[in-house]
Amino acid sequence: MNTFTFFNEYFGKYLVRQEGAPHEAAWRALSSNHRLAKGTEGRLASGWAIVRPRGGSSVQLKLAAAGLLYDDRTRVEAFLDELSHWDGREPRIFLMFDKAPVPIGNLFMTVDRRAIRICSPAGVETFDLEREPTPESGGIQKALWKRRIAA
Amino acid sequence: MDRFRVTMTMGSPIVSNGGYMTLDALLAALIFERTGDLERAHSEIPLQRTQGLWHASGAVFEKQDDASVSFVANLQARHDLDLDLIARNKAGNTHTAMGLTRRRDFGAVMNSYRMLTVPEITWYAEGDVQTVEHLLHDVGFIGKRRASGYGQVATVRLEPDELDGVTGFFGEPLRPVPVELFKGDQTALKADAAWRPAYWHPENRAICFVPEAP
Repeated sequence: MNTFTFFNEYFGKYLVRQEGAPHEAAWRALSSNHRLAKGTEGRLASGWAIVRPRGGSSVQLKLAAAGLLYDDRTRVEAFLDELSHWDGREPRIFLMFDKAPVPIGNLFMTVDRRAIRICSPAGVETFDLEREPTPESGGIQKALWKRRIAA
Repeated sequence: MDRFRVTMTMGSPIVSNGGYMTLDALLAALIFERTGDLERAHSEIPLQRTQGLWHASGAVFEKQDDASVSFVANLQARHDLDLDLIARNKAGNTHTAMGLTRRRDFGAVMNSYRMLTVPEITWYAEGDVQTVEHLLHDVGFIGKRRASGYGQVATVRLEPDELDGVTGFFGEPLRPVPVELFKGDQTALKADAAWRPAYWHPENRAICFVPEAP
């Protein structure tokens, strides 16, 4: 199962019709307007999501879609909790949303604890969860490390 | 088919946008430069191929410096706007301030890249060494921002080697190899990666064993 099939099966299918190639459906899910719980429409333009094959995928934005779990924790709290319980056997996709949609070229599965990938519109942050960040490391790696040390 | 290694000495830092910089990708780009035929560029690479996997390693190098470099491109509309098509304000004039859309579409755009200072780059491969040598003999620049002088190739050397371009001496992957095709060390690093050209195309991605980042 490639990235886009995985994304659609456990996240995208709850938001958009599965028509065309998998990467096209994934792009529609990431860039289209969706019905929100409060009744209006909006894109995935803030918050975060974790795509997982069992137990349902989580998203911070309160969408009207059934089949997804809504979770109002911060992205650092949610990612750290997921990573601390993840055995590495089944893939995950970690997403951070912003005003611009996440391009499909930035959509990657995480399949190894030594190469965690956080996908966002600005790029993909890749890091080893067990390694201390360096001054050049990305913001989310530093934030996760700081939270782990504090815990 | 011969097993060989390619060593390039570099005359200027190389600009990259990530990825493994496999030899098959470089050869495909050179074939495309000469033929303008995308189909040939992806199918006529003079290397051994097994179940779609080219026997060509990613770039192997020791970096002296790893920095970021940014370039600004000033994009401009290629046509003049017909003022009759533009809404007028209460005074009957068109708005002249540049809106957010115009700024985004036609303003200055900054692109940042990774710039690596490396004295030498090596690839391992298996294939038709003479044809590969012919493709590489006059390559001037590799990587991104070549027209700006980055990635200048000073010399190219091809020598026989034992490695097949897929698996290293200790069973480690030398390039992204889909999990089901990899016969080496099953504890090696895994990642979601493109494993065949066109490397930018989303459909060419799979869960792969990959080399550790240099």
